[in-house]
Amino acid sequence: MTYPHMDAKLNEYVDGTLAARNRASVEAHLAECAGCRTAVAELRSLSAAAARLPKSIEPGQDLWPAIAARIRPRATWNVQRVWWRGAVAAAAVLVIALGLYRLLPPSTALYRPAGEGWVAVQADFDRASDELSRILAVERERLRPETVALLERNLAVIDTAIAESRAALARDPASAELRRFFAAAARQKVELLRWAARVAAS
Amino acid sequence: MHSDPTDLIHRAQQGDRAAFEALYRAHAGRVYALCLRLTADAAQAEERTQDAFVRAWERLATYRGESAFSSWLYRLTVNEVLLGRRAERRREQRVVTTDDPAALERPRDADPASGSALDLERAVAALPPGAREVFVLHDVEGYRHQEIAALAGIAVGTSKAQLFRARRLLREALNR
Repeated sequence: MTYPHMDAKLNEYVDGTLAARNRASVEAHLAECAGCRTAVAELRSLSAAAARLPKSIEPGQDLWPAIAARIRPRATWNVQRVWWRGAVAAAAVLVIALGLYRLLPPSTALYRPAGEGWVAVQADFDRASDELSRILAVERERLRPETVALLERNLAVIDTAIAESRAALARDPASAELRRFFAAAARQKVELLRWAARVAAS
Repeated sequence: MHSDPTDLIHRAQQGDRAAFEALYRAHAGRVYALCLRLTADAAQAEERTQDAFVRAWERLATYRGESAFSSWLYRLTVNEVLLGRRAERRREQRVVTTDDPAALERPRDADPASGSALDLERAVAALPPGAREVFVLHDVEGYRHQEIAALAGIAVGTSKAQLFRARRLLREALNR
């Protein structure tokens, strides 16, 4: 019989992971303990038998037809991915360009009256944001759960900032400061969605 | 006719399904053996084998050749099985032991006269899941505790404790 407190030491001894000092003390113990010598012999025999087990076992049936049915042709997949990346990039460029255009300061020739510009900016941003979110929803399953959690956490923070800036702009539509704040939050959201796109595509 | 594995991998990465099927044919036995020993259930092992190859197809573009393709594939397989098991464990806490011992008597590459190997397969299948997974990965597949800990999401000390527990239970079972 072996001593319970020796169990871990004997295993480490057999695996060759015991520190030299402990190894010497185990060897001294083994010289006196027949039970532990038997245990070491059994452990060695067990590990050797496990290493000799067949590395290959054929499945009871051919699994390829089921696998083939589940994998998508790579060419189509790539086309979809390229299209999706393009769509994300285009939507991002659109929302940033429109946002900058409509939020230009009054000294610029392209400036629109505050009320009209703000309504148009909101509509542009909502449309682009909805479009990006819809595309992301399709590819969402490709992201790891941790990535989805991170994405949702950050989107929640940005959406709060957007909602707050919108509410503030509703009270003070002419504030250039608030417009910049809104534009920055909108750009952050678009960048975050683009980042998610790159991760899903990698 | 044997195809060059590097060429097969490259073609599969380009979307060649025939090349990927050739890779499946070359590695299915090894992947299935790993799944069968980790799950101790033939039906689950077939499912996990399918999942692993579907995952491999999806992730093939990320394989850059830093390690052998087989190592990459088997690591991905272990990940699939252990992730599936963690999800299952979250769904219901239950002890899974083999309900199909005959499945483990099927190793076609094994020496038919090797009764002790069969006894060992059965005893491994009857281990508690955590101990079985660590034993299979360490003693059968040759993974180190650090690798097992990372793959299984456990501490190195837990990996060692599970291995020692598995060996103790196996010695008891085989000495009966």
